[in-house]
Amino acid sequence: MKFTVLNSNKFKTNLCCVFLAVPLTEDRVTKTALIPSLLRRGTNNLTSQLEINKRLEEMYGASISYGIEKEADYEVLKFYLEVINDDLLPEKRALTKEGLDLLVDIIFNPYLEKDSNGESIFCKQYVNQEKDNLIKVIESRKDNKANYAANRMVEEMYQGEAYGIYKFGKIEDLKSINEKNLYEFYKELISIAKISVYVVGDVNKDSLEGDFRKSLESLGVNPESSFEKVNMRHTPRTNPKVVNEKMDVSQGNLIIGLDVNSNKTNEEIIMYNAILGTGANSKLFQNVREKASLAYSAGSKYFRRKNMIMIKTGIEISNYEKTLAIIEEQLENIKNGEITEQELESARQLITSTSKLIPESGENLVTYYYDKEMNDEEPDLEKFIDNIQKVKIEDIVDVAKDVSVDTIYFLRD
Amino acid sequence: MQVFEDKRIREKVYVEELPNKMQIMVVPKRETQNKYIIWATKFGSIDNHFIDPTTNEEVVVPDGIAHYLEHKMFEQKSGVDSLYTLMGLGLNANAYTTSDHTAYLFGGVDNFYPGLDELMDYVQNPYYTDENVEKERGIIGQEINMYDNEPFSKLYINCMKGMYKNNTINIDTAGTVESISHITKETLYSCYNTFYHPSNTVMVIVGDFEPQEVINEVQKRLLPREPLGEIKRIYPEEPWEINESLIETSMDVNMPMFMIGFKDEITGDKLKDQIAVEIAVNSLLGKCSETYQDMYNEGLIMTELEMEYEFSRNFAHLIIAGESKNPKRVEEIVLNTFENKEVTLEEFERSKKKIYGDYTSEYNSVDEIGRMFLQDAVKGYNSIEYLNKLEEIDLEYVNNIRTKLLNHNRHTLSIVKGK
Repeated sequence: MKFTVLNSNKFKTNLCCVFLAVPLTEDRVTKTALIPSLLRRGTNNLTSQLEINKRLEEMYGASISYGIEKEADYEVLKFYLEVINDDLLPEKRALTKEGLDLLVDIIFNPYLEKDSNGESIFCKQYVNQEKDNLIKVIESRKDNKANYAANRMVEEMYQGEAYGIYKFGKIEDLKSINEKNLYEFYKELISIAKISVYVVGDVNKDSLEGDFRKSLESLGVNPESSFEKVNMRHTPRTNPKVVNEKMDVSQGNLIIGLDVNSNKTNEEIIMYNAILGTGANSKLFQNVREKASLAYSAGSKYFRRKNMIMIKTGIEISNYEKTLAIIEEQLENIKNGEITEQELESARQLITSTSKLIPESGENLVTYYYDKEMNDEEPDLEKFIDNIQKVKIEDIVDVAKDVSVDTIYFLRD
Repeated sequence: MQVFEDKRIREKVYVEELPNKMQIMVVPKRETQNKYIIWATKFGSIDNHFIDPTTNEEVVVPDGIAHYLEHKMFEQKSGVDSLYTLMGLGLNANAYTTSDHTAYLFGGVDNFYPGLDELMDYVQNPYYTDENVEKERGIIGQEINMYDNEPFSKLYINCMKGMYKNNTINIDTAGTVESISHITKETLYSCYNTFYHPSNTVMVIVGDFEPQEVINEVQKRLLPREPLGEIKRIYPEEPWEINESLIETSMDVNMPMFMIGFKDEITGDKLKDQIAVEIAVNSLLGKCSETYQDMYNEGLIMTELEMEYEFSRNFAHLIIAGESKNPKRVEEIVLNTFENKEVTLEEFERSKKKIYGDYTSEYNSVDEIGRMFLQDAVKGYNSIEYLNKLEEIDLEYVNNIRTKLLNHNRHTLSIVKGK
C-alpha cells in the first residue's frame, strides 16, 4: 500500500481517495463491476445506504463518489470522499480523519450476513438489486452514441487483449453471480489489489497514515497485497481493420485508432497529438470542422500507457469518405513537415496552460500522481513543461513517421 | 470600494461601482495560480420588450435575440474570431446566454492581461453587417434543432409552459427558427446599445489580484459611453394560476423523464427563500429522507432527484426532476410528502450542515466562485451573504415556505416519455 499526502492550501476541502487496482481479465470484469455499487449499500457499522447517507450529510455534506476506470491493462476501483477543512467548521472536529475512517468502513468492512452454515455472505437483496442496476447500465451504453463508438473502437482495436474488455462486463455473466460467490470474489480481490491512498489538502500525513493502517489492521486487511504488474504491448496492424456498425442514428461517429510505435519522448508525442487534434487551432479541428464544415466535432486524444491516439469525429453519414480522406491528408501533412510556427506555438501554449492547471484541482492532481505511481515514474510537472518548450518541428515529424492507422470504426445508420 | 467578509470561511469580496454605474466584484485568492473573469449584461431571453432609454419608445424584439447577439459578439471587423484569439493565448474562453443574463468569460494561469485586452475589446465593439447576421442564421437554426432534440431542454421548457401562461421564461433561450428569422443588424444594434451599456453589466474577477489594481486595469480599457437612463423592461401580466397541470411529450428516451414545477411569488428576500426551500426539499425528498428511500426501494427512482429553486426579475419557482418508469406516481408521492410531512428539527439541523459544506466547497475553484458571484449579482444579491442568511433561517420559516409552495395547487408536471 502507498499512502500519499499532497499538501495544498488552495482548497476549502480535503480530498481523500482510495484506489484498488487489479489486472483486467475477462473472468473477473463483471464481478468487479458489481463491487463498488455493492459496497456503497452498507457496512457492518452503517448497515444501509440510508445510514451512510445520513452520516455523510451530518459530516457537512461530505460527498462520496465511486467508479471503475480502465487504466491501461488494469481496472481501478476508485473511491473519493471530500470533506470541508477542519478549521473552517463552526465546531471543533477532525473531519478528514472521520472521512478516511468512513472510506475504510465502506471499502473494507462491507455489510455481511450469515448463510445456513454460519458462513459470511453478502446481503442477497443488495446483490440482486445491484445486479439489476448493472444490467441497466450495460443496456444503456448505447444511449450516448459518441462514447459508445469510442468504446467500440477500443474493443475492436484491442480484440482479444485485456484493454479491449468492456469495463462493466457482460449481462450473461451475471446469472451465476450470487451473494456467496461474490463475497468470496471480493476477498480475493482485496488480497490481490494494489491499494493506493491519496489525501489532498492541508493535513498531517503521519497521523492520518498511522490511523489508516491501524484501521486496516483491525479489520484483518493486509495492506501489502500480492499485486502483479501487467503490460501487454499491442501489435500494430499493417493493414487497418475497418469496422462498420449500424444503428438507428442520425449522426455518424467516425473513430480512428492510431498506434504510436516510437522511441521519441512523451513530450514529443504529446506535442504531435496536440498539433493533430487538440483544441481549436489543431489540424483536425481546422480542416475537418472549420474549413470543410464536415463535422460537429473533431479531435484526438493520446492514451500514453497504451501507445494509442484516438481520433474522434461526429459527421453526416454521407461524408464518411470525404472525412476519412481529409484526416489521412492531415496525418500525411505532419509526416511531410507541413507544420506552421503558429500551429507549433499554439499546441505548446495549450499543453503548457493545461498542465499548469493540474495543481488547481484536487482530483486532477491525484490523477496525475496516480498515473506516475502506477508506472514507477517521478512526478515532475515543471520538468515536463520545460521539455514541452524544447520540442521542435523535426521531433514531431519523427513521431509522425512512427504513427500508423490501426483501426477505423464507423457508427452509422 | 466596499469590502464584505465571511470570517467563518475566510473569504472576502471587494465591490466597486464605477462612475459609469458598472459593477465590479473582486474575490482575491492568494493561493491559486488560476484566474477567472466573467462579464455579463443583465439581458437574457426573458427580456424581449422594453422602453429604449434614448428614444423613450417601446421596443419589442424577436425571441432568441439575446442569444443571437452573443453569437455575433466574437466576430471582429478584421475578420478574426476573438474566441480563437483567446484560446491561442492558452485561455479557456467561452460565452453563454441564460434567461436573465448573457456572459463572456475566460480563465487560465497565464496571459490574464492580454486576455483582458481581447475580452474588453470584443465585448465593446460590436460588428454587425447584413451579411454576417445572415450567415449566423443557419448556424443558430442548427443549434435550435439540436435543443429541440434534447429531451432535457424539452422537459424544462414544457415545465415552464405548464407553470406560466404569458411569462417570458416559457420562451426557449435560443428562440425558434421562425422568431430568429426576424433578427436584423438593426434589432441587434438596438439591443446592444440598450443592454450592453456598462451600467447594465456586472464583472467578477477571481484570482491572485490586488483588487484596486485590477479594477484600475479594467477602467483603463472601458470605452467612454454616454450615461444611460433606467432601462424599463416590460413583462407581460401573469395570472396567479398555472397554465396547465400536465404536459406530456414523446421523444427518444429509454426511461421517462419528469419535472415538477411549483410556481412561487417573486416578492421578498428570494435568496433567503432559495436557501429555505433547499433545506425543505433536502429534508423531505433528499437522499436521507424516508420518501426517497421508499421510492428507491419501490424501483420508482434510481438516483437522487434534482431539485432547484430558480428565480429572477420576473419569476420564482421550484423544480424537481428525475427519471422514473411512473412519473405520475412520483408526483403524487412528492405532493403527499409536502402536504403531510413537517421538516423535523433533526432533519433541519442536518440539512443546514450539508448546505454549509456545499457552500464552502464552492470556493474550491476560481471558476465556481466567479459563476456564483455573477449569477447572484445579476439577481441583485451578494453571494458572501449566504451563510448569514442560512443562520437567519429557523425551522418555522422552512415549514412555512413548504406550506406556501404547496398550497393553492400551483404546480405542474412535465413528462418526456419514450416513443
